[in-house]
Amino acid sequence: MDLVLQIIISGLLLGGIYALISIGLNIIFGVIKIVNLAHGDFLMMAMYAAFFLFTLKGIDPFVGVFIIFPAFVLLGVFIFRVMIKPLLGTAETEVNTIIATAGLGFVLQNLALMLWKSDIRAMETSMTGQSYEFFGIMLSSGRTWAFIVCLIVALLLYYVLMYTKIGTHIRAVSQDTDAATLMGINVDKIYTLTFAIGIGLVGVAGAIIAPTYNMYPTIGLYFNTMAFIIVVLGGLGSFTGALIGGLIIGLVEAFAGVLASAELAQVFSLLIFLVILFIRPEGIMGKGARV
Amino acid sequence: MSEKVLIVDNISKRFGGLQATNQVSFHVNQNEILGIIGPNGAGKSTLFNLITGFYFIDSGAITYKGERIDGLTPDKICHKGITRTFQVARPFVGLSVADNILVACLPKSKKVSEARERVHEVLKIVGLEKKADALGADLTTLERKRLELGKALATNPEVLLLDEVMTGLKPAEMDEMMELIKELRKTKTIVVVEHVMRVIMNISDRIIVLDHGQKIAEGLPKEIAEDPIVIEAYLGRGTK
Amino acid sequence: MKPDKTPLILGILAVALALVYFLPLQIYVRHILILTLLYAFLGTGWNLMCGYAGRLSLGHSAFVAVGAYTSLLLFANFGITPWIGMLAGGVFAVIVMLLIAYPSFRFGVKGPYFTLGSIALAEIVHNLLIYFREYTGGSLGMSLPYQPTSLALFQFDGKEPYYIIILVFWLAAVFLTWKMERTRYYLEAIREDDDAAAALGISVNKNLIIAACISAFLVAIGGTFYVQYYRYIDPYSIAGFTLSLNIALVVVIGGSGTILGPTIGSFLIIPITEILRMSLGASMPGLHLFLYGILLILCIIFLPKGITSIPGIMRAKKAKKDSQLNQGAEGVL
Repeated sequence: MDLVLQIIISGLLLGGIYALISIGLNIIFGVIKIVNLAHGDFLMMAMYAAFFLFTLKGIDPFVGVFIIFPAFVLLGVFIFRVMIKPLLGTAETEVNTIIATAGLGFVLQNLALMLWKSDIRAMETSMTGQSYEFFGIMLSSGRTWAFIVCLIVALLLYYVLMYTKIGTHIRAVSQDTDAATLMGINVDKIYTLTFAIGIGLVGVAGAIIAPTYNMYPTIGLYFNTMAFIIVVLGGLGSFTGALIGGLIIGLVEAFAGVLASAELAQVFSLLIFLVILFIRPEGIMGKGARV
Repeated sequence: MSEKVLIVDNISKRFGGLQATNQVSFHVNQNEILGIIGPNGAGKSTLFNLITGFYFIDSGAITYKGERIDGLTPDKICHKGITRTFQVARPFVGLSVADNILVACLPKSKKVSEARERVHEVLKIVGLEKKADALGADLTTLERKRLELGKALATNPEVLLLDEVMTGLKPAEMDEMMELIKELRKTKTIVVVEHVMRVIMNISDRIIVLDHGQKIAEGLPKEIAEDPIVIEAYLGRGTK
Repeated sequence: MKPDKTPLILGILAVALALVYFLPLQIYVRHILILTLLYAFLGTGWNLMCGYAGRLSLGHSAFVAVGAYTSLLLFANFGITPWIGMLAGGVFAVIVMLLIAYPSFRFGVKGPYFTLGSIALAEIVHNLLIYFREYTGGSLGMSLPYQPTSLALFQFDGKEPYYIIILVFWLAAVFLTWKMERTRYYLEAIREDDDAAAALGISVNKNLIIAACISAFLVAIGGTFYVQYYRYIDPYSIAGFTLSLNIALVVVIGGSGTILGPTIGSFLIIPITEILRMSLGASMPGLHLFLYGILLILCIIFLPKGITSIPGIMRAKKAKKDSQLNQGAEGVL
């Protein structure tokens, strides 16, 4: 029984991480309605950023987050203006943005490869290898803190989206861009902001999980796959859906990882993903759910 | 000799909480023009979708030339001889006008070359010969409507379902279109959904009226124009 | 209607490429040509489903892998000639395609969802190849048991025979695409608007499945060729996202939804990037892929329909301008 509980807790912590990773993707899809295939590679970049901040400047990732977030937000603005905006508004926007972001992911991956080679790197922070004990359950410190950050970010985001003016604007644009325009909302500005925040959030996620994962330039694909599974499972564009999706996948992986092997765990998640695509692409929370 | 070519028998369709079509029955005679009118939301386009297989009926039957067609997919129904146009024209925007028509000619042609030969003819009927190379995306709304009709004609239908072909046309253009439809009646059977009264009254042999998914009246244009139930449906109560 | 120049262009290309066989070329030039034709072949297969029908798959490496590992395993374990293994791989790839394509089309999975699904499929294949490591060698990959030059066993010590084979494959694929004129039009209509296509009598699912299956079959054959040529495969290169994206890239830049687009794209990109990889690969790993990515982005922003769309764009612009001039005259009245 203890073992099962341990697996469940580990799974939930993992789920929190996954949810944190997918929030950025979800916002971008929910509001701008485009798929960002470079998502995982941005995450990889953020992990490396945290790594270098730590090893070269001694800045712990949990502090480094406050540098990385704004940097990534600016990066997001740049990418949006240069690459995404020119593609919006046509019948082929969906296809073109997928291809363009796939290309961007490639660019980031190989930039990392050129700069930092393919050696695997790992960080050793004060948290490495530490765990907390909680009623006999071992909680890895890195993951526990990541989970906590995930909750904080989720709450912050929720607050912003529901209770601030800009948040309301964002929600309006995600529901009906024409109506939003008629109400005087600058859709272009909201798109830029949303994309930038989305990338910023990926930056946060990358910085936070950097201590708990080995990193290499192509790790982006792994996280990309995870993020997409979660976002579709939870419901593209649904905020709470991403949280639920993350937790579910975290649990699935934890159990499958124990019962079978790592690769099969992935295959299992991917199969779930395909089934969801076939029978309920709106995901658990459906398209109707807004936030 | 008026033969009942299309028989819609007591069909109903529900979407969640909305009864979009409620026990509607009517028939269409060979080579006649049947007009369908009704206030917005009456279920006119839904009717077309049901007849051509885009939605499946919940109950009832649809028979064409003696054969049941409810439950068939749209492409099969087109092959049987019924083609519809869409209310908002749906051209293949990435293809040229000529290719749009070619695609429409292909399913019923044995060879591609055969289909190619018919394209110019069809373009002439709808007045788009000069725009043969233009992309679907670059057409004006009027030209899109013409293309929509052209694609429908290209399939050589026996029964043509026209969904609001007149919307957005100028009076002179409407006259032209009305003449075209009357010409077509010689070889085809036509069902027309319209909002423009003068058009419906002018070209229809018979008219049926829908409101809230039900058929509330059926008859000759003159009868319909004077039917108090119809007037009430359009203008609301208290207009007596 | 303008006369179809495709067979002429194709004929000239084919003859030119065939004659190249006789030129005294350096080995690395032959290698580049082989790789270029391989990608042209893979791209042409991909194009049928993704270019014409518009169902964007970024997971086609799944089918390359199925073809490659099927023929490799049949040969390594049972001594079955790769020619037969190739056909078996093709059939197997079609089965895998049907498993995912049939429900996808039936449930109307389109656009980004379809693309994500295709990526998921490739990842499933990738992971399974690693998981069954006793059979496949896992992530370390597997070598083709060496045989000296033998046509029956599809292995040659020199590059020339490989060149001829891939040339024939490529020619067959392009010819097939050209011959399927009716299906091409149907697929284009389906891509633009599948409801409108159905209303005109086009059977949407049937045509999509045909395109998907042919696409998977061709690409799987390419997989077998890959194994026989490189004599080694590993799950990451053959079932990975990089290969899928490369195939898509070549077609998108050349012009998706055109007969010769994939070939043109391949000739434009592969030689340059292969040379880059060979000269800089050791010192700057990933540079050629980095450039791929930049090129793809630039292409999709400025020329989303690829190089071959340039004449069409010019023509449409002219038609638009002509009609505007005419309308201008009418407007005055």
